[in-house]
Amino acid sequence: MTMQTHIKTFAPARPIWCAGCGDFAVQGVLEKSLHKMGIPPHKLMMLAGIGCSGTIQNNLPCYGYHALHGRVLPAAIGAKLANPDLTVIAAGGDGDGYAIGAGHLVHTFKSNPSIMYIVMNNCNYGLTKGQASPTSPTGYHDNPESGMDSILLGLSFPSATFIARGFSGNPEQLERLMGAALDHTESKKGFAFLEVLSPCVTYYDTHREWRARVYNVDEEEGYDPSDRGMAFQRALQLRAEGRIPIGRIFKGEHASLESLILNKAELPPAQQKVGLDGHREQYKKFIDSYMG
Amino acid sequence: MSSNNGRPILEDVNVIVAGQGGDGSLTVITMLAELLRTNGLNVYTERDVLSRIRGGHAAATMRAFTGDRYCIGSNINLLVALDEEAVEKNARQLDSKSIVVYDDSGGPVPSVLPEGTKVYSAPFNRIAMRTMRRELYKNSIAFGVVGRLLGLEDETLRETFIKHFQRMGQVILEYNLEALGLGFHLADEKGIHEGEGLYKIKKSAPEKRLLITGNESVAFGFMVAGGRFFCGYPITPSSEVLETLQKWLPRCGGVARQTEDELAGINMAIGAALTGTRAMVATSGPGFSLMQEGVGHCGSGEIPLVIVDCQRSGPSTGMPTKPEQSDLNLMVFGGHGDFPRIVLTPGHPDDCFYLTVDATNLADKYQCPVFLAMDQALSQNIATVEPFNLDGVSAVPGKRLEAGDIEKLGVYKRYEFTEDNISAFAAPGTPGGLSLVTGNEHNEWGLVSTDPVNRVKMMNKRMNKIEVAKDELPRARHFGDQSAKIGFIGIGSLFGVILEAMEDLQREGVKTQYLQPRTIWPVLEDIHAFIEKCSRVYVVELNAQAQLAHILIHQGADPGKIVNILRYDGIPYRPAELVKSVLQAENSSKIKKGKKEAKLQ
Repeated sequence: MTMQTHIKTFAPARPIWCAGCGDFAVQGVLEKSLHKMGIPPHKLMMLAGIGCSGTIQNNLPCYGYHALHGRVLPAAIGAKLANPDLTVIAAGGDGDGYAIGAGHLVHTFKSNPSIMYIVMNNCNYGLTKGQASPTSPTGYHDNPESGMDSILLGLSFPSATFIARGFSGNPEQLERLMGAALDHTESKKGFAFLEVLSPCVTYYDTHREWRARVYNVDEEEGYDPSDRGMAFQRALQLRAEGRIPIGRIFKGEHASLESLILNKAELPPAQQKVGLDGHREQYKKFIDSYMG
Repeated sequence: MSSNNGRPILEDVNVIVAGQGGDGSLTVITMLAELLRTNGLNVYTERDVLSRIRGGHAAATMRAFTGDRYCIGSNINLLVALDEEAVEKNARQLDSKSIVVYDDSGGPVPSVLPEGTKVYSAPFNRIAMRTMRRELYKNSIAFGVVGRLLGLEDETLRETFIKHFQRMGQVILEYNLEALGLGFHLADEKGIHEGEGLYKIKKSAPEKRLLITGNESVAFGFMVAGGRFFCGYPITPSSEVLETLQKWLPRCGGVARQTEDELAGINMAIGAALTGTRAMVATSGPGFSLMQEGVGHCGSGEIPLVIVDCQRSGPSTGMPTKPEQSDLNLMVFGGHGDFPRIVLTPGHPDDCFYLTVDATNLADKYQCPVFLAMDQALSQNIATVEPFNLDGVSAVPGKRLEAGDIEKLGVYKRYEFTEDNISAFAAPGTPGGLSLVTGNEHNEWGLVSTDPVNRVKMMNKRMNKIEVAKDELPRARHFGDQSAKIGFIGIGSLFGVILEAMEDLQREGVKTQYLQPRTIWPVLEDIHAFIEKCSRVYVVELNAQAQLAHILIHQGADPGKIVNILRYDGIPYRPAELVKSVLQAENSSKIKKGKKEAKLQ
């Protein structure tokens, strides 16, 4: 992380979060994990959605992008497919990822690109002053519905390869999970989904409640994250008991999107030189095929 | 038909094959087009289908000609009607010299034909059922009769069948050849013997020409311009852009991705564009509406993106298979907030290729959204065009910084204020070039800012890029008599129709000139100069609100000179219909009183 020193670029901003916000822990752990993995800032493309969590890219030395509300995943996939040599991390909140962007989450589990997605779940819309979000429990702000669980959603995809949940109140475990997620994407194994329970101190302070409710499957004897049935069953069971599973919930195997669709005989899109010369043969073939 | 040695040489013929969806009308036209093309003729084909796979009236039209034609002609020489509806729907395009081949399996030919029309009736359907036990061979039987009528040799027709059906397997080929033989037999019965058809077909070596649609030309233009990332979601009439690029782009190391929806489509393309990859999306009205947020985001974040809108009849779901030009407002004024954009309007498949190359270069250079305004007919009609000249185009990189450049500068600001308002771009992965890209208002570093001074400066920087671009945007093409008082302006598939209407008007003694704008946003000086020098300009459009005319007036064109000719019934214009509209307007007192509405018949 030292190669930037003599070149002046944007000075990473100070976080805009309220004191005590869970997102601080996420950023701290992320910085440590990137450092540990030896990922230089210029190789990191950090994309974030809209919401409190969607400012994290401003706080890090990186190539940062602030996506449209709910669209961080398609943008991240586009970046990864165009330049698979980049470390692509998408981040956002539960409103961004599970409400307005839910369709893209479904299709990212389905397509398995090697990107990491950190969802800072605070069970409300903090930046717009606390409205109910898809993960808010019944009764929160008169919410008549039950909260959704994206871990269960992800488990239903045969192509899902990495599903984990951390808690900002347990940064040691979060660091292990983040490291494993980064390792997953850097070794091109596919989509690393990491939800982080990240309490909103201002509108919905769940810190104490969550500390009491979380259940660490990493410490459960006999828990096998490669057993999808077990992962699903435990997640349901714990939910019924009012507990929230955290830890390495599922690990599967499936070819990554970029390995399936990029032409390995060619340079990836972003690394090609702009100009006509590289592929004249193909252009001629195209023309010939319409000559009849 | 009696033998006639004085048969005319085929120079211009229009053929419609019509029936129910699934009857194989398109197959007949496709084979005819292929065949006539190999005989040295140029062709143009059009399809008229419903948004369903089987059933409903479906027609395919082909024009074969020598020289240059860019649309279907005004008069249909030959109608092959596979049912009654096919006659009823298409009778308006026939005249006393037209010939109708009619499948009378379902009843006698309806009495809607112009007097003098010659009809050859035969029960194609019944023959197919009786002899081959399959209704689906009726078009192959009809093909035999049509081929004979046009004056093609039996052997040539057989060869075409072999070429077309061989890939579907020997059995299918044999059945179809049998059906073709039945067609020849039927033709003999009707007295249409080999070598005694309507035309003498001059056998000449096929010209080196492509047979291609606008959509395929757009796909190719993008590829040649170095476009390497495409996203689309299936939607009529843009899907061929996706399909063509899915086939070809990976061969050049590119990605053509079918996304879960148009929101993912434009945002995934944006993600690729952020890495310095040339990116494009293609869609039609409903999908384009969904993409609006992304369009404005490209404007604000200064993200290069080409957006192809294959316009169809709107609003809402509208008439998906029918041509319209009613998204012009959305391209020129759509999206929330103020941002720069460029809208290009090709008029024929070859123009689609060259303008897509331009669009791809312009997007990269000016770091803004660039639109290609297509319409269904331009997108999907097939035309013979000169082979694209690869030496006449180039792929010019935008203002880029590599690691060494940044090293030398010692500073990198993604949104730096510069003289030409374009800030250099360092692609992610470039050491030293860290940056922030955002749709929030931002300062030069890309950090969020609401500072009023910065806001105004940043807004002006973005908007002024278009002023700089004006000098190199594609110019309009001029046709006709420079001194003519009456002018035409029209875009997209109207290009060929207007050109041909001008010839017809000339014969009526009405001199006209035509300006085919190829950039409609920003409105360039060439359009203003053209309107200036005409006393009356017919702005022909496929929409109900005169969107193009209003854009021109909004930008300073004299409304007193503009007469709107508007069509929005979903039917493509024929030159004669346009001529009629113009003559009527010319003769009406309305024009003299300065009122500006020409009604379509």
